[in-house]
Amino acid sequence: MAWIYLILAGLFEMTGVVMINKFHQEKNWQSLVLLLAGFTASFLFLTLAMKTLPMGTAYAVWTGIGASGGALWGMIYYGESKDWRRIFFICLVLGAAIGLKLVG
Amino acid sequence: MNYEWLKVFLAAIFEVLWVIGLKHADNLWAWLGTAVAIFISFYALIMAGKKLPVGTVYAVFVGLGTAGTVFSEIVFFGEPVKLVKLILILLLLIGVIGLKLVSEEKEDVQKGVE
Repeated sequence: MAWIYLILAGLFEMTGVVMINKFHQEKNWQSLVLLLAGFTASFLFLTLAMKTLPMGTAYAVWTGIGASGGALWGMIYYGESKDWRRIFFICLVLGAAIGLKLVG
Repeated sequence: MNYEWLKVFLAAIFEVLWVIGLKHADNLWAWLGTAVAIFISFYALIMAGKKLPVGTVYAVFVGLGTAGTVFSEIVFFGEPVKLVKLILILLLLIGVIGLKLVSEEKEDVQKGVE
């Protein structure tokens, strides 16, 4: 069950990131509310997941799903650059962040 | 472009503050400060996504926040220094600098004149 919470937390985080894009495009309060609700729900599910899973593991998986999912979504639906250098450096940053959460 | 990146860095600095706050706050003022830090951090994050690609902004926000938290736990809270942590922080910073060099601002003309 903890893993389901964790995946949900990652998906809600991704929703929050996607809503930042949507908010800038449409400038309506619905996307701002969804943005804030997405991040809030994400933290709640992360907290639930961390009751059973080790903190480092939970944080690492959460970061991985949310940030890479948000970046992929941006490339597919919001025309963000698919330049291989950009993808490489995003992977480098996220890989290092995930590593830090695992050893921290 | 530099002004936009400043917002990303600001968001990350306040992220470090609220992560520390969530872990160590034990009185009303500390919790209040933590809440203010969360607000500033997300405000700067959202505003940075206006001109810079959101995927890049969020990756840098998460990355710098993590590196900053690990670094401040070593400096201020006596966590052990491990070589692997320093190497990962270095790799992360190379990634952030790389992203800054390859990123372009969104063209306002694409969306039409507002």
